[in-house]
Amino acid sequence: MLLFRSEEWIDKWCQLNNLARGEVLTIHQVWELSKLWYHNRLSLEYHGRSVEQVTEIFKQAGLTSKFWYI
Amino acid sequence: MNDSLLWQVRHFVYSHFADTTHPPSVEETAAHFNISTEEAGEYYKELHNRHTFLLEPETLTVRMANPFSGIPTDFKVHANGKTYFANCAWDMLGIPAALHSDAAIKAVCTESNESVQLEINNGQITNNQLLIHFPLPFARWYDDLTFT
Repeated sequence: MLLFRSEEWIDKWCQLNNLARGEVLTIHQVWELSKLWYHNRLSLEYHGRSVEQVTEIFKQAGLTSKFWYI
Repeated sequence: MNDSLLWQVRHFVYSHFADTTHPPSVEETAAHFNISTEEAGEYYKELHNRHTFLLEPETLTVRMANPFSGIPTDFKVHANGKTYFANCAWDMLGIPAALHSDAAIKAVCTESNESVQLEINNGQITNNQLLIHFPLPFARWYDDLTFT
């Protein structure tokens, strides 16, 4: 996942690399997603996630477009 | 293969990253659990196959245990008095989320190469202007994790 200072730099990067634009989130959105995704990563009980659990995390983070389908 | 030990090895690798900023060698893991290096290597390979962490190709060296990176990157995260490297723009936020800590982050804009700084203070981000681009849809993230 790539960091950019503005939409303009994202468009430029996509053009230069001949790649389609993916999904762009604000840093605040990604921080909220990070807390849901990583909060228990250091726990002994964390054994990975089911498809249903990943779907629920994306839903909680407001990521419901086709891009986030599993 | 002992399933309980498998998850203990995963936990040890992550704890080692959190404590030292780098992954344990397979020899260190073997010594910690009092098992042979060969057996520890089998656990490493199994955890790699389950996408729990990523080994460098043809080695038993942990390259990524998301959000932690085993090699230097453009995403430097200072937290709990230590400096970690994150794998990507998402993972630079994943480190304070995993550690449940504040953080001071130094990173680089992918295209302009300008340095950017942000902080996590009491759960709040100080720089709200930045954007993160996810080039691939989720269904393709594990096709090539290094590219992702």
